[in-house]
Amino acid sequence: MQLQFELVSYDTVLDKFNLDETMYQMEISDEDAQTYEILKSSDMNLYNWLKESAFFLNYICDEVYPNSKSKKIAISDINGITYRRFYFFKVTSSDAHYAYFKKFFTIFEESDWQDREEIGDEILAHLSVKRQELIFDIECTPLV
Amino acid sequence: MDKQYIDKMLSKMDKDLSSHGMSRRDAMKMAGISAAGIFVGTTSANAEEEKIVKSDAKAKIVIVGGGLAGISTAARLTLQLSDPDITIIEPEKDSANYQPGQTLVAAGIWDEDEIIYKRDDFVPDGVKVIEDRAIFFNPQENKLTTEKGQVVTYDYLILAMGVQLDFERIKGLEEAGRAYSAGNNDKLMDALGDSICSIYTSQGSTKTWEIMQKYIAQAKSASPEKKTKFIFTHPSTPIKCGGAPKKIIYLTNARLKEAGARENAELTFYPNGGAMFGVPEYHDAIVGQFKREDIKYHYRHNLIEVDKENKIATFDSKWQEKGPWDPVMKDFEVIPKHEKLRVPYDFLHIAPANIAPREIGESDLGSAKGWVPVNKETLQHIRYMNVFSIGDVAQVPMGKTGGSIRKQYKVLVDNLIAHMNDTKLEGKYAGYTVCPLITDIGTVMLAEFDWTVKPTPSFPLDPTVERWIFWLMKVYALKPMTMYGMMSGRA
Repeated sequence: MQLQFELVSYDTVLDKFNLDETMYQMEISDEDAQTYEILKSSDMNLYNWLKESAFFLNYICDEVYPNSKSKKIAISDINGITYRRFYFFKVTSSDAHYAYFKKFFTIFEESDWQDREEIGDEILAHLSVKRQELIFDIECTPLV
Repeated sequence: MDKQYIDKMLSKMDKDLSSHGMSRRDAMKMAGISAAGIFVGTTSANAEEEKIVKSDAKAKIVIVGGGLAGISTAARLTLQLSDPDITIIEPEKDSANYQPGQTLVAAGIWDEDEIIYKRDDFVPDGVKVIEDRAIFFNPQENKLTTEKGQVVTYDYLILAMGVQLDFERIKGLEEAGRAYSAGNNDKLMDALGDSICSIYTSQGSTKTWEIMQKYIAQAKSASPEKKTKFIFTHPSTPIKCGGAPKKIIYLTNARLKEAGARENAELTFYPNGGAMFGVPEYHDAIVGQFKREDIKYHYRHNLIEVDKENKIATFDSKWQEKGPWDPVMKDFEVIPKHEKLRVPYDFLHIAPANIAPREIGESDLGSAKGWVPVNKETLQHIRYMNVFSIGDVAQVPMGKTGGSIRKQYKVLVDNLIAHMNDTKLEGKYAGYTVCPLITDIGTVMLAEFDWTVKPTPSFPLDPTVERWIFWLMKVYALKPMTMYGMMSGRA
């Protein structure tokens, strides 16, 4: 099975994400494909599995960012499942993203009476914490 | 329970029932409520004998706030601790008022004295009261200071001081200041004048009925061509009893119909939000009721100014426009737009912004928005493990009703005692809340829900249907359940 994915890099100085415009493709083993099938319905479980998987991190070191030291990255898309909203959400983002994050961060009923900007700021406050969980360091051993 | 009160209430209820050709037993059967359940608010399905096991744990417990949440918690602690050491800090003598009755007072169904209760009549035996306001909190050293300068130390702190009603943020009402529901609100009443009202204080509910009658009389002598304008608001903050702004609309509508003046009146609701209710099923039901009763509504309007002399309410009117394409998010942005809208009124009912007391927001115990940040299930403070919070001031989603408190206070007490015993906090609040939405004089839609944002009815009946039996429950049963059941730590 093939895994298609896109990445973002994180600039710690500017506290900003930059989209890596390349679509990467990798073959995964049957066993990993089975795990993927189980996890794909839960975007965060899928994300965390890949973030912790040696095969994925090795691929990034070997094929994506060889020789990278202390590079901070995050996954933006996996086989059509997008995480972009976590890095690029703005108060002016569309209602679909608000609906997603209201559910994700359990921002409940009262939000219906509050101003959009206020809810947007609340989502951004949650995201400032969540983003740090999503970012992972790439420490690739230099090729000799 | 006060037997005299119960007898009087039952007698009134039986009279009401017999006028509908029904016995009390039949009525309870119809609602799925057991004979005992009517007093404790439990269905026959979930009513169960409660066995309270006392703990020998010892600690000095201070509760800030002597309203429904604070007193119910104190009462429960006295039941569950063999040697309790509890102090309540509460400046208001009338803090135990029955706030859910304020809508009924505002519609002339009850008198104000039917909802006024003295704090000291409900403080459990052995619980000390400091009649003062806690104004400075030092959670690092487990102490607080009161307005009169008394320093109070504690092992455990429970924050239950409710919300403040922020009228002063409305231009033209600056002199109203911030108010609490109970206590002397003469300053607020003076600031509102004789055409603006609010059911959010006990005094205000009586004044609402006075003003409502005045404008119903005006409507009677008006004409369909020149209607008397009744305006109702809902603010941009979370509020206690989110259904209350609509209840007063329905009750005004009912009184206008009763007076034969409805066609000469125009009722308009200006909520800040974009829906009638957070639960879609109840939203749809309310929209249907508004259409049926010809009550107009305009979403996304926040009251920001009143001109009392010329009787003009100014709203921040908001809408959204489609913005530019965002190539990264692969979606169109949404651009918020605002403009001021001036609306003439004859009668203006304000649901004020609700905010956490300033002293909490300014302390280490408050969040950026002022509320007390707690684990929403255990009600334990997220930073100070010996601090818990309950009721309106706690940063708990959908938790600002008496119905929420009823589910919260036992969870809090179980968890506090577990912490005292150094065991795992196993009590979990699941977000249950209830809004008996009065839709007419004689009907109530019992909106029950939790964090699933789905109806969670306690009774085997369609919860979106307005029912007389729930009116009976609201008017006759909920007060004794609250005042004598919850306040004794048992219901």
